[in-house]
Amino acid sequence: MRKKFVSGILGILVALFIGAVVMLVQGYDPIATYGALFSYSLGGLYPLSTTLRNSVPLILTGLSASIAFASGPVNLGQPGQFLIGALFATVGGLYIHLPAVLEIPVLILLALIGGALWSGVAAMMRKWFSMDEFITTLMLNIIADFFTYWAISYPFFDQTAYSPMTPQIDKAGWLPEFGNFNTNVIVMVIAFVVVWFIFSRMTAGYEWRLTGQNSIFARLGGCNIDKNYVTVMLLTGALAGLAGGLIVMAGPHRFIKDLGANYAWNGVMIAMVANNGLVGTVLYGLFFSSLQSGALGMELITAVPSEFISVLQAVIVLVIVAGRGLLDIWLDRSLVKRKARERAI
Amino acid sequence: METIIEMKDIVKVFPPNVVALDDVTTDFRKGEIHAIVGENGAGKSTLMKVLYGLEPRNDGKILYRGQFVHFKDPGEAIAAGIGMVHQEILLIQEYTIWQNIVLGIEPAGFLGTLNQAQAQRNVQAKIDEFKFNLNADDLVKDISVAAKQKVEILKLLYRNVEVLILDEPTAVLTPQEIPQLFTELKRLRDSGKTILFISHHLDEVLDISDRITVMRKGKKIATVDASETNKEDLARMMVGRDVLFLSAREEKRPGPVVFSIENLSYIDGNQHKRLEGLNLQVHSGEIVGVAGVEGNGQLELVNCIMGLSQPATGHMAVNGKELTRAEILERRKFISFVSQDRSKMGASVKASITDNTMMTHHRLNPRFTHWKGFLLDYKYSRQFTHEIEEQFGVSMGSMDAPFKSLSGGNQQKVILGRELLLDTPFLLLDQPTRGLDVGSIEYVHEVILKMRSQDRAILLISADLEELFRISDRIVVMHRGKIVADLPIEKTNVEQVGYLMLEGKDKEDAKEVR
Repeated sequence: MRKKFVSGILGILVALFIGAVVMLVQGYDPIATYGALFSYSLGGLYPLSTTLRNSVPLILTGLSASIAFASGPVNLGQPGQFLIGALFATVGGLYIHLPAVLEIPVLILLALIGGALWSGVAAMMRKWFSMDEFITTLMLNIIADFFTYWAISYPFFDQTAYSPMTPQIDKAGWLPEFGNFNTNVIVMVIAFVVVWFIFSRMTAGYEWRLTGQNSIFARLGGCNIDKNYVTVMLLTGALAGLAGGLIVMAGPHRFIKDLGANYAWNGVMIAMVANNGLVGTVLYGLFFSSLQSGALGMELITAVPSEFISVLQAVIVLVIVAGRGLLDIWLDRSLVKRKARERAI
Repeated sequence: METIIEMKDIVKVFPPNVVALDDVTTDFRKGEIHAIVGENGAGKSTLMKVLYGLEPRNDGKILYRGQFVHFKDPGEAIAAGIGMVHQEILLIQEYTIWQNIVLGIEPAGFLGTLNQAQAQRNVQAKIDEFKFNLNADDLVKDISVAAKQKVEILKLLYRNVEVLILDEPTAVLTPQEIPQLFTELKRLRDSGKTILFISHHLDEVLDISDRITVMRKGKKIATVDASETNKEDLARMMVGRDVLFLSAREEKRPGPVVFSIENLSYIDGNQHKRLEGLNLQVHSGEIVGVAGVEGNGQLELVNCIMGLSQPATGHMAVNGKELTRAEILERRKFISFVSQDRSKMGASVKASITDNTMMTHHRLNPRFTHWKGFLLDYKYSRQFTHEIEEQFGVSMGSMDAPFKSLSGGNQQKVILGRELLLDTPFLLLDQPTRGLDVGSIEYVHEVILKMRSQDRAILLISADLEELFRISDRIVVMHRGKIVADLPIEKTNVEQVGYLMLEGKDKEDAKEVR
């Protein structure tokens, strides 16, 4: 745990340094730039609350990817599951009218079901036709993309709008805000606690983990691998769907075109950086969100374009993932050297 | 005779801390056959791979013809004149012999085209020079294993190698083919080549070599002249103590039948029959050993028993309970299983030791869970791990450390502990001592015998005849997917079983026993 923490911090520092070099080469002032970046993402209540709120879709899709990858299934369908979850919550919010205490849980449930349904299609294709989820989830992303585009252009189109979008959902389904703090963070924290508990403390999570590490061992040990596969697919789909639903309920309160942006792919990237660890996913999710939130402020104050953040993110991913392998190799090598020296004397 | 290779103070450590070669110093002379003997894992192959440039060394020096050398890869070693023939045959089946041999150093003709006629002629000349009795135009897939091995040797001779390393060359040969190989190796030696010969068959080694280096646990024990030693001395040096060829069992009458298979057959995905009409019974308090050359159906038998493969015909039962098509979890109520490959089937090396000990127990023993099996009781599983640690003498740092941090012997103890504490009537042990050091092997044998005295039924699959004769009550021999013999231990001997393993039938004169 401590080793992971150290290697993560080191990786980020090295990446920031590389970013600084890139800026220097281009003639920007790195210190002023980073100053602007972090003061607009962490410096004060308002920036902090923006960072927190934007971290929710990153963390939830990241958790979805982490749990899937750590348990075996290569679920790469977060973008599609995200969109279907968002669509389910939106349609629910358009036609179901309840008091807020009921409306919000119902919409959340719909988002979970929508995501699970979409990953469930991939799970069934694997079960019945032995199609690899690695391919089917990617294909289903494209279908979800165009299906939701159609849905907001025709059946659920807001007649008063000029571009594809739905009308606003029932106000009872809007997540309450306290000042600038959006309660989507609370939903995310609850979701994290639940999946962490399942994954780390329950029998099912134990079997998922062991199956992800060595499926033949788990199978010989009596775990029901097929059933676990389906459960993991449904759960991770539901998490991605929840991310989509919360976007609608916290943000524009309607399904607009390009709602998903890059949240889900960023989530997959965060899972990789965190090496599929759940706590790591949350921490890296917060960090990446702070970069993205600070990007606009950085552009405002300095001449550095906000696209620079994409470069920085990519550098961070590469440095941390490569560094993790390197650290192990170094540790091994130094152990071997010490041992060899002992023997040679 | 002049020394051609000197290896000085060679140290090789495999990460994280397995010392494979511990300060090994030895020398090889020009024009000798030099055998390197030792048990599995003694470091014989590693020493040769270090010499050949396949494994980098961590310390030490190598002198070749009086010069310090450091081969970075096998290509450099071959160019310098040292070549190795591996256990597995690495030839292109669809090519002819000469095509395989010139591969990589083809004689080029006009515009870099392959001069086929010349290549073919060159290869045939080499074959005739060493009297190898091969036809350069034959396709490799059409020739015997022994001939393929000759092609491998020729490949090196064609590259003008002076030192030939052979890694257990007789392992793939039938008993009839071995003398022929030896004649050829002796001829090579007489023509001035140096041959380094890895083996653990002492009879062979005494037959063919001029000098013998004995290794044990990564250390060189001695280098002796073959004419001045004998089998017993070599065995003592290899194992580090007098080797008891005696049985370790106490007399015990077996009880009722616990495990039985009837007419079991298995057909693999390519429609090959891998198991054919197996009948086998194991009684309580009995150890039945399964002997056979690897690849004669043992793996398929294990898979059918454990439920990884579905048999085509036949039945299997434990204590009268029909398990032929049962779910794996159902089987595990009756069967404990120790696999031959710890990291592939026996454990998750990345997971913690505790995560590994609770496998299967977490489903079968309600003490490991709460809430009707949904919530794990980590406190209890840690207590259970501690119990295994005490009862089986495992030395572990922390039970939360990853499984791979344990040594091989301790890993096997943890797996044995987990499986034996399942308390099942039947134990399936697939090469439970593979890759372990001598001390651990003895410990595992003790545990198996203890299980026998507790009236468990035990099926022990092993490639090691000595092990089988040491602890089994009965030996069945598998050959090409069939059980060709079922013999009480008192009525057979190593020679008979060895012959059955290779030929699948009894030698006429071996039937009268001792």
